[in-house]
Formats: sequence, structure tokens, C-alpha cells
Amino acid sequence: MNALKVKNIRKTFRLSKKQRKIEQTSIKKKIAVDDVSFEAKPGEIFGLLGPNGAGKTTALRCIATLIKPDEGDIIVGDYSALKESTEVRKRIAFLTNELKLEDHFTPNYLFQYFSRLHGIDEATIKARRQRLFQRFGIDKFQEVKVADLSTGMKQKISIAIALVHDPDFIVFDEPTNGLDVMTAKTVTDYLVELRNEGKTIILSTHILHVVEKLCDRVGIIIEGKMKAYGILEDVIQTSSDGTLETLFFDLVKEEAGEVHG
Amino acid sequence: MDNMLTIFKKEMYRVLTDRRLILTIFIMPGLAIFVMYSLIGTLVQNQATAVEEHTIILYEENMPDAIRLYLEQLSDESNEQRIHIEFRDQRDYDEETLKAYVREGDIDIVLLFEDDFHEKILNYTDEEPPTLTVFYNYGRQQSSFSYNNIMPVIEYYRNTYLIERLEDPAYYQVFSVQYVEGIVDERVLSGQMMAMMLPMLIVIFLFAGAMSIGPDSIAGEKERGTIATLLVTPIKRREIAFGKVLSLGMLSFISALSSFVGIALSLPRLMQMDDSGVSYAIYTMTDYVVIFSILIATVLVIVGLISVISAFAKTIKEAQMFIMPFYFITLIIGIVTSFGAEPSQSMWVHFMPIYGAVNLLSGVFTFQWLMINYVIVLVSSVVYTMMFIYALTLMFNDEKIMFQK
Repeated sequence: MNALKVKNIRKTFRLSKKQRKIEQTSIKKKIAVDDVSFEAKPGEIFGLLGPNGAGKTTALRCIATLIKPDEGDIIVGDYSALKESTEVRKRIAFLTNELKLEDHFTPNYLFQYFSRLHGIDEATIKARRQRLFQRFGIDKFQEVKVADLSTGMKQKISIAIALVHDPDFIVFDEPTNGLDVMTAKTVTDYLVELRNEGKTIILSTHILHVVEKLCDRVGIIIEGKMKAYGILEDVIQTSSDGTLETLFFDLVKEEAGEVHG
Repeated sequence: MDNMLTIFKKEMYRVLTDRRLILTIFIMPGLAIFVMYSLIGTLVQNQATAVEEHTIILYEENMPDAIRLYLEQLSDESNEQRIHIEFRDQRDYDEETLKAYVREGDIDIVLLFEDDFHEKILNYTDEEPPTLTVFYNYGRQQSSFSYNNIMPVIEYYRNTYLIERLEDPAYYQVFSVQYVEGIVDERVLSGQMMAMMLPMLIVIFLFAGAMSIGPDSIAGEKERGTIATLLVTPIKRREIAFGKVLSLGMLSFISALSSFVGIALSLPRLMQMDDSGVSYAIYTMTDYVVIFSILIATVLVIVGLISVISAFAKTIKEAQMFIMPFYFITLIIGIVTSFGAEPSQSMWVHFMPIYGAVNLLSGVFTFQWLMINYVIVLVSSVVYTMMFIYALTLMFNDEKIMFQK
């Protein structure tokens, strides 16, 4: 299984009048991701760190083929996200807080629905549903409408549904955001399981200890630019006191100094 | 194809398993229309019956016996077209008092004949003719009804004496007119009654049905963020567009069918069709097949339009706001077709989306339509729907439209 390679991607957005007003700027175009490159290998968790608005979600959306970069390319296994988006979608799972489930349906119906959209046969659907629902404790709630479930349960269902097609590449955008400690632990434990199965995982978060605990490789993105990148231990070594936290805040301050200086 | 079917089934399931949606989309429109129109029909009929059965309160002074006799015969029980008349006792009312009574409805009509009215007519030479003063209140239905039924008796009385005065009444006739019967096609006549309301109501309810489901299916998915979940699957955008439009078309058609049943059941009462001998049996099975195929074609165009607008909107509310002007245009099309001239047979008219179909429907209801126009409506509707589906596919591929906040 080949790695996931992000090659010099750049993405700009045109700011609407409303957005310019909110961000108090007169600039009409915002560079969300600026010449970002990184690589995530099979059996690794790659942590993409960055403050809010740094460009993490935009980069991940480009990988998930929801949006197209203006420049550069993303290679998922053997396929280009730009030119072979359908092939990429067959092999990738994308989960973000913004990806919601329809309240009216039950977990069982949604699992079946998304499995069919991925072209999975009924026997495989049944086996995968049983395994994933048991793993996340969804089985008891499989016929309960999503609207009647807790936030934590909804997130677990979202993960199960994102993985219906047993993808080799998994992109999770802040998967533990807003979850209670128990549910967050279930999610992080499962990420480790997936890594051990040889999956390639990209995890975006701003929770530093999650990165320190889970990730093999890390990239720190600030104001759309990759400021630090490499094996976790090597990146931490570059910090003045040998911690990821200091490195992260130094980089944020440095960027703020560059912007305002 | 499989994916399109999966989307189609899911959209159907979403609506068909929600009791509230079933009630508001499928049951309420038909039920509300049936109750509302039946009630209007019943009330109108009751009002007409009440007026017809009303006892006319007539106040007269110096009424010639001949007129009184006619009126008494008119109110006689043995008369099949009997009208009830009550003669109010004569009192020395002045004009203002009588006007007040008529205005208030205590008296329906006042006939004040000049003294010796009848004698003056019989002995007429060349002086001023005698005067009849009439008071009635055309703002009150009972009073107008009284006037309309009593004045012909007065006219008859006048004509009787006019003829007597003439040496040769035929001399004043100049010519006679003979009307030939049996030319009118009763079927077309009945159809015109149907065409007055049905095409307008059908197109309005088709649009309203689509409008109540469409925005939630696409703009709702954008608003809730569930569209992204769908877009990260390997399904082709074209399949999503087809699945959405076809399922919405089916649901809107069922919704419109509910309204249609409501209209069909209440129309006989609303338009007093029982009295006029009009019934749905005037149409053959072929006519009904043509009508339903036009409805399906029209609903697809409407749903395609609403889907494109919904995909462009960021929220359900915004979609409903954007759709509203098109709803008004559809209302205008319905009104113009129902109350305008006879249905056009021009081929160009039938190329026009929605308007062509409503015009053709009107033609089918009045048995004035051409096969070529039917084909044009069906083919052009399919072409318009495909254009909308293509636009929707492009929109699903456009990140700015799908994800712009």
C-alpha cells in the first residue's frame, strides 16, 4: 500500500463582503493553504497541528476531494485527488465535525445507505456493521433515530459510517472535539487499532497531548504555511525546551510577529 | 443506476416514514382542499337557495288589479316556478320612511303606482303617461331577487297594453330571428366548465407540493452539513442529481395527486356540477392518460427548477425565498390560462416550460388539443428536466456553491 502524499498545494478563497466585515479586512482573497506538502505512510498516524483558521480543514478537504487545490496535487495511494477523485473516494474515509448525519434516520439505515453508495455487497455490509457497531457500542441503538442520540453516540456512528468501505486512508478532522472523556478515549483507542491494521491516518487537532500520544509524524500549519514537519521526536527536538507545546506557541508567536511586525 | 436508486429510495424513505410529513404533504392538502371547496360550494348553494326561497315583502300603492292578479298567480302553490310574495298592508308612509324600510330590509321592493294608473293607461290620449315609482336595494340579494322577479310582470303588463294600442303590432316587429338548436357540443361545454378551474388548480398544487419537499432535500442537506457526507462517497454527482430530482418528482406527484383527489371530489359541489349535468365521465380513459402524462412531465420540470434553486441557496429559508417569485409566475400562468382566451394551438406556446403544459391541459379539458402539441410538451419537458439535472450535477461539483458559508 502506497503513502498519501500532499504535494505543494495552494488554496485561495474569495472573501465575500460579509466575511471581510467579520474578519475586519479589506483583502478580497484569502490564502487558506500556501504551498503545503507532507507525506503520511501506511501504519502511521500523521498529526496536523494548528490553531483555529490555520488551514487544517481546508487541507483535509482537499485530500478528501471535497474541494480542489488551486495548485499542487495530492496522491492517495496510486491516484491523484485532482484527476481521479472517484478512485480516491473509494479508498478514503473523511470525518469532520461539519459532516453531519440526518436526524430522521437510524444508525442501521444510514450504515446500509452509505455502504450501498460504496457498492458493498449485503453479506459484507452485515459483517462490517456487526463489527463496527459492537466496537463502538452502537448495536443497542441501531434502530433509534439519530435525533434521539447523544453527541458522543452520534460521533461514534459518524466514525462507523465513515469506515463502511474499510478504507486504507483515513482523514479525521478534530474527531474528539466536543466529546466527553470516555467517548474521546474510545475514538483515540480506535485510531491506534486502525494504525496497527496498517491504515494511513491523518489526524487534525489542536489538542497537543493527543498528538504527542498518538502521532508518528507531525506537521504544524500556521496561517496556511507548514512551519514544522517531520517525525514527531525530531520535530519536538527543535523546540527550545524539548516540548511540543513550546514549539507550537513559539511558531504561533513567530508568525504573529511576522504578520504584525 | 444502482446509486441513483439508492438515493431515490432514501429520499422516499425520509418522507414516507415521517408521520408529520405524510400528514402535511399527502393528507392535509387533499383534505383541506376538499373541506374548503365543499364548504364554499355548500355555502354558495345555501345562499342561493335561501334567496330563492325568500318571501318577497312587497309594498304597493294603487296597484292595478291585473298586475296583482299576475303576482298572486306567481305565488300560488300550484305554480311550479313559484316565488313567495307577501303584500304589505298599505299605510300612509312618506317616501323617506319607505326608503329607510327598503334600506334596512324590512321591505324588499316598493311599487308606487300613480292614482288611477290603470284607467289612465286605458284612456290614454296624448297627455303625460302615468308613473310607476320603484324602490329597491340592489345592495341586498333579497331585494335584487325581488326586483328581478317582479319587474318582468310589470313589463308583461306594459307590453300587453302597448300591443292593444297598436293597429298592426307586426308592423313594428321589422324582422323575426330564428335560432337553430343542436349546434353546441355539450361535451365541449361541460369541458369548458372543468377548464375554468382545473388546470390552474392542478399547476398551483403541483408547484406547492414540490415547494414543500424540494428545499429540505437539497438546501436542507447543505444547511445541516449532510451533503458533504454524501459528496465524499464515490457516487457520481449526476447520480445524486437524478436520484434527488426523480424522488422529489415522485413525492411531489403524490402530493399533487392528493390535492387532485380533493379537487375532483369537491368540484361537483363547488361548481354545482350536479345541477348542470357536468361529470368526469365526459372524459375517456385516453383523456385521463394524456392528463396524467402531462402532469408527470410538468412535475419533473417544476422539481428540476426547485432543485437547482435549492442547490444554489445556503439554507431552506433562503431556498423558499428564491422559489417564491417562480411560484407567483406559476400562479399567473394558471390564472391566465383559466380566465384567458381559448387554449392556444400554436406549437411555440407548447415549447414554453409550465405554460405550454397548462395550456395543453386546458385544451385537453375542452377537447381542443393537437397530438403534435402533446408530443412537444412531453419532449420539451424531458429536455428541460435533463437541463436542470445537468445544472444540478455541475452545482454538486462546484465547491463554492456546496460549501460557501
